[in-house]
Amino acid sequence: MGGDITLDDVKRRAQAAGLAIRPDRLEMVRRLLAEALAPLRRMDARRMQTAEPAVTFDASGGSDDGRR
Amino acid sequence: MAGDEIHWAGVRDLGRRFRAKELSPVELTTALLRRIEALDPTLDTFVTVTADRALADAKAAEAALRRGDARPLLGIPVGYKDLYATRGIRTTAGSALLEDWVPDADATCVTRLQDAGCVMLGKLITHEFAWGIQSPGHRFKPARNPWNRGHIPGGSSSGSGAALAAGFCVGALGSDTGGSIRGPASFSGVVGLKPTYGRCSRAGVVTLSWTLDHTGPLTRTVEDCAYFLAALAGHDPLDPASSRAPVADYVGSLGASIRGLRVGVPRDFFLDGADAEVVQAFETALGALRGLGADVRDVVIPSIWDAPSFMVIMASEAFAYHERDLRERPERYGDLLRERLMSGGLYTGAEYVQAMRLRERLRREMLDVLGTVDLLATPTSPKPAPTFEAMYDVSLGFPRSNMPPFNLSGLPALALPCGFSKQGLPLSLQLAGRPFDEATVLRAGHAYQETTDWHRRRPPVG
Repeated sequence: MGGDITLDDVKRRAQAAGLAIRPDRLEMVRRLLAEALAPLRRMDARRMQTAEPAVTFDASGGSDDGRR
Repeated sequence: MAGDEIHWAGVRDLGRRFRAKELSPVELTTALLRRIEALDPTLDTFVTVTADRALADAKAAEAALRRGDARPLLGIPVGYKDLYATRGIRTTAGSALLEDWVPDADATCVTRLQDAGCVMLGKLITHEFAWGIQSPGHRFKPARNPWNRGHIPGGSSSGSGAALAAGFCVGALGSDTGGSIRGPASFSGVVGLKPTYGRCSRAGVVTLSWTLDHTGPLTRTVEDCAYFLAALAGHDPLDPASSRAPVADYVGSLGASIRGLRVGVPRDFFLDGADAEVVQAFETALGALRGLGADVRDVVIPSIWDAPSFMVIMASEAFAYHERDLRERPERYGDLLRERLMSGGLYTGAEYVQAMRLRERLRREMLDVLGTVDLLATPTSPKPAPTFEAMYDVSLGFPRSNMPPFNLSGLPALALPCGFSKQGLPLSLQLAGRPFDEATVLRAGHAYQETTDWHRRRPPVG
């Protein structure tokens, strides 16, 4: 996960998602993605092995009791 | 009480006046409806004013008062962010997509306030689907800031913040996914509480992001906020995230001293890029807390700069909610919202998972810090309310916000006025606490308001 998000990155992602981003909004979307993904680009996913996602599966399907 | 003072009165004062027969709910409601009619055309806070319903609610409150009903919110006029479903009353989410939607059931929070005896004044404008401010030509108009109409009142609970600042209602409901209660509270100079995730039901409220959405009250004082939270809090089987954690006595615990309360200040991130006036007002507020005996100290949240990854989660969940309409009828979305929602479809599944892992790490660190202090204090926003011009300029970046870390972690966070900029725009203090410890957060906010008067300042509106 290296490097900043480019306009071409945005176009490729949009094409993969089947979404049409207006040309005059491409830069706005690029900035949104770049800022949001910057922390992910800094993280070493392998060193964070013990950090599980905030959402975990409850097989019993019970409502939470304030644990979250 | 002089005719125009009742617009600013709080819950306890109004309840006393009702029971002393100095003022009736019908008189108060009539006065507020007249005020809304006269002044709201310049502020556009209401989408739908429910005058007949309001008067019916007020008459019912009067009858209950005659029977000796002691409910504290009886006869208190409120407005509901137009994301909250209201039975038989149009609920638009600020969008052309829902301009004709009339729900057949109330949101749980609406039911709870109505059961508490509140008077429904109407539905307050929200940024479109809680994320996109209405731009020129939109089906709906954006609310304007009563302190300066050229500036936004904050969003997405824009109408809620502005209506309170303008003296149109005593309380309002909002929703907060990344600051949408606290932002309007900050920019409009009122109080807003994002409770702990799961504290207040989201059933019947249009979704933005399931794991980040919170519901909560906006008011003009922390004391009023406590009254509203008392009515709203508690388990709701209709909301899968609703907690069964016990509901504290928020009002009863307000007056306790905050001497010895430990207040942590995470300067890194939260003060970065803040205007000098914001920093000065914030430091003055910390001084006031120290003057009340609080132990204010600096703290560090090591991963706080990961907070911007919040947008991966919010946008992805929002896209999942809107995907079908975005693909089938994108033209129905507002100009400033459509591509924002589409951006959520551009993240990969792995990126969403990694963002959730960063979220969990940040949440644990914030809880660790709250094991060493009782509260966290930050400026609610690093800058005062921007202009509409700035909001509509897509070439400008999105300003960094101090509010999402508390959505990511689910911790309760309160925004309250702490000063004004040189331009006369409100500045705000954010206090956050441990999960389900809204009582401590409110107690500290109330203590602060007992020694300051920022919350008593009034905008230049009628």
